[in-house]
Amino acid sequence: MNRLFQKIYFDPYIFFSLFLLSVLGLFFLFSASNADMGIVLKQFIYVVAGFIIMILISQPDPDIFRRMSGLFLIFSLLLLGVTYLFGPEINGAQRWVRIGPASFQSSELLKLAVPIFLANFLFDKKLPIQRKEIIISLATIFCCFFLVFRQPDLGTALIIACSGLFVLFLSGLSWSFMGGSLILLIMSSPFIWNILLQPFQRQRIATFFNPESDPFGASWNIIQSKVAIGSGGLLGKGFGEGSQTQLNFLPETETDFIFSVIGEEFGFLGVLLLLSIYLFLLLRCFYLALSARDRFCRLVIGGLSLTFAANLIINLCMVVGLLPVVGMPLPFISKGGSSLMSLFLAFGIIVSMGTHKKFLPQ
Amino acid sequence: MIFEERQIEKNNFSSRAILLFGLIIFMLLVVLIKVFSLQVSGYTDYQLAALKNKNYAVPVQALRGEIFDRNGMVLVKNEPTFDLITRPNLISNIDSFLEAIEPVIFLSQIEKDKYKKLQKDKAFVNKELVLKKDLSKEEIARFNVRSFNFQNAFIAKRYRRISDYPEIFSHVLGYTSRTDDDFKSMPEIPRSHWKDAELSYAQGLIKGRTGLEEVYNDYLSGEHGQRVYEMNARGQFLKPLSFVEPSKGSDLFTNLDIGAQESAAKYLGDRRGAVVAIDLESGGINVLYSSPVYSINKLSNGISDLEFQDLINDVDKPFFNRALQGRYPPASTIKPAIGMYGLSNNIVDWDFEMKDPGFFTLPETGRVFRGWRKGGHGKVNMHKAFLVSSNTYFFSLAYQADILELSNHLSSLGFGQKVCLDCFDEDQAFVPTPAWKYSMMNAGWVKGDTVNLGIGQGYLVTTPMQLANYASLLATKGQFTEPSLVSLGAQKKPLKTWEDDGFDNSDWIKMHAALLGVIESDYGTARSIRDLKKFQVAGKSGTAELVSLDSKEAYQEVRTSELLRDHSIIIAFGPMPNPRYAVSVVIENGESGGAVAGPVAIEVLKSLINE
Repeated sequence: MNRLFQKIYFDPYIFFSLFLLSVLGLFFLFSASNADMGIVLKQFIYVVAGFIIMILISQPDPDIFRRMSGLFLIFSLLLLGVTYLFGPEINGAQRWVRIGPASFQSSELLKLAVPIFLANFLFDKKLPIQRKEIIISLATIFCCFFLVFRQPDLGTALIIACSGLFVLFLSGLSWSFMGGSLILLIMSSPFIWNILLQPFQRQRIATFFNPESDPFGASWNIIQSKVAIGSGGLLGKGFGEGSQTQLNFLPETETDFIFSVIGEEFGFLGVLLLLSIYLFLLLRCFYLALSARDRFCRLVIGGLSLTFAANLIINLCMVVGLLPVVGMPLPFISKGGSSLMSLFLAFGIIVSMGTHKKFLPQ
Repeated sequence: MIFEERQIEKNNFSSRAILLFGLIIFMLLVVLIKVFSLQVSGYTDYQLAALKNKNYAVPVQALRGEIFDRNGMVLVKNEPTFDLITRPNLISNIDSFLEAIEPVIFLSQIEKDKYKKLQKDKAFVNKELVLKKDLSKEEIARFNVRSFNFQNAFIAKRYRRISDYPEIFSHVLGYTSRTDDDFKSMPEIPRSHWKDAELSYAQGLIKGRTGLEEVYNDYLSGEHGQRVYEMNARGQFLKPLSFVEPSKGSDLFTNLDIGAQESAAKYLGDRRGAVVAIDLESGGINVLYSSPVYSINKLSNGISDLEFQDLINDVDKPFFNRALQGRYPPASTIKPAIGMYGLSNNIVDWDFEMKDPGFFTLPETGRVFRGWRKGGHGKVNMHKAFLVSSNTYFFSLAYQADILELSNHLSSLGFGQKVCLDCFDEDQAFVPTPAWKYSMMNAGWVKGDTVNLGIGQGYLVTTPMQLANYASLLATKGQFTEPSLVSLGAQKKPLKTWEDDGFDNSDWIKMHAALLGVIESDYGTARSIRDLKKFQVAGKSGTAELVSLDSKEAYQEVRTSELLRDHSIIIAFGPMPNPRYAVSVVIENGESGGAVAGPVAIEVLKSLINE
């Protein structure tokens, strides 16, 4: 057994954290779905498959990912195109594509493809990054963002944009450029609000700033979420005992609002435990990024783990009322195969980049 | 890349990664603080909000107290009836359910349609629904035999407010009707929950509207209980969580006497009028009767529109409580009060005599005021003036009165004010004054107005309640009895006495002797009722003229129209010499006070004394 572990590329800290999160996730999902074993079982299968994928993905040398990065991005965009042409429309949005028996949310792949592509594009460029490179990077980011945004899926689009921008930033984007962009962004915000956002997206943002204006309508979700978390208290109401969850006052308990279920049934201590695991996982990624063998690996680990972190933070801020409601699952806990697969894929890549060492100087 | 460049790049990466990871950790900290503020600082508020979401409290109706007479006989009770209640969530096919239950319970098409309309909504939220109200004995028996077939239905008790004397006590007991302001009694239950209240009465939430039901509504009402259900976000009741039993309202023990009230009703018959009787020891009102009557059982438990319209449009106005609101001239029954005024102001004494030619001429204008007997009563003193009810004597006494003093005197005897402590909607009638006449009629007070007051005609109007109060004041020699229907311990009655320096106990003794003579002597105007009883009764009768006429012949013409005939009035108290009860009777258009109203008063006194 030990020999096997020595042969394969494996990071026990990340493995252990993800194992803990997944087990807790199944446990929480059982309560959040009103004890629906069917849902839990399905999720369990995804988790097992996820671990296998992660271990498999972490075996190849990082150079393979580097060489494949362009193809990977094109493949992801093609999949997005297939979704656009053939995907079923669910709740007014086209996000899914069928591959055999399984449906897959095609935009999830872009979360990986964009940072890896940019890392490959930028890793051998001289510091500071030149204007031409910035423009190519930004164009790539914007194209991917826009395609997903038009599905429409604002949450995922924002995450994709973040994933690209993180890599760009880590690879040494100049401060003066960022300052200029920020000013430009602020100046163009009225345009974004009026032209780019859909009415329901504007509504969500409006209710975020004034939740009491419409307690039974759009802000119902966020009010009930706060009530659920707040009524959990220090120790929580107990497993399966949360009235907000079990009596359906809380919406979307299995997906976006599963953190509220944890807050209600396990209280502040439960939240503290969960956030500690996430923090531990992030710190491990940070360490792997710093100790990675080359610039490409550093950028990919940094980009992917920060994307994961952004995903986490946006979900948390949303359910506690610090951000407007955007569809964003809680990583490793929320129900859903696509996001889980892309997460395991991401961590497989992170492990690969973090554990393959090169002892010879370049 | 050369080595230094790589080192610069690596340092650059490290510092930027530290910045971003630091930002992420900072954001996690912000989230943690926010969660802390929700779960620890805001815990009580959010816990309450969560409870408010899921706990659905519904009121459970309390029964009203019952009402009893002075002998402990029940006047108003809660009578159980039986309703068929269903649990719509257990009924899968409504048509087959109705088909199955039709042989057991008779259902009209309207009942079926109504049920079908509501069934689905109630089933969804797991609430109960009444299928049929007021089941017959046969229906109950049939259902009980087959109840194992109907797990989705059961029979429940629903009460009705019923009196065994729905008509004779109609005005005094009053009726209840539906109310929608019970929510004020339970501020902790949101108003919208009242539509799901668990009802004890078939009529739903009820409230006293008139009579004792209204006056003592708070006392009778009791306190509603509550049942708390666990409810989910879709408004479905899941299970009961807690139950606070309702507490029944207090029973009301009144001073009313069923036997005496029955006598009043029986001897008044179908004539319009009122009877009030007061217990002189306690001030308790034993009889408060107004005729014609209506059925409080129907009013409280459902009356058809047609019947209700008939009652409202009835020319005899059955809803009008004549005992408390009827305004009648007191006529000759006021004479003892005028006599008291004359004696206490030294205008006359018991020995003063005058000639009664049958009329009184007002010196100022020469206007003639006639007595009831042509030719008069010869020489009269006060004693005889009471016995024969000499108008001339009291015209001339009133002529010498100061109107303001006389008004004050009448007010001091309880006229022109509410005298009952707990009567529903009592009218205060009024005592006229010059100021009143000036403001109402834009005319000055003339001497003739005062003279008319001497025989209780003209502007002075009184209620039967005030007359009974006045009779009890005469009977007790000036003690105010403070009449009341209910004697609650809390109502401490102040001991009040009518006193005047010019009117002492010897005057009271002579007054009683004279009023005794009105009925018991050979000359008394009310001697016709003397032999109806074995005990002695004092009193004063009166005949209230509705039109002012100069001659008997003219009246013969007027009386062809019944509504213009004189009202018949009597006040009486007995048994003498130590009276226990005082009574007043008014019979509208009954003519001749003593002979018509007198027997009613005697019968009421007889049943109170238990003769």
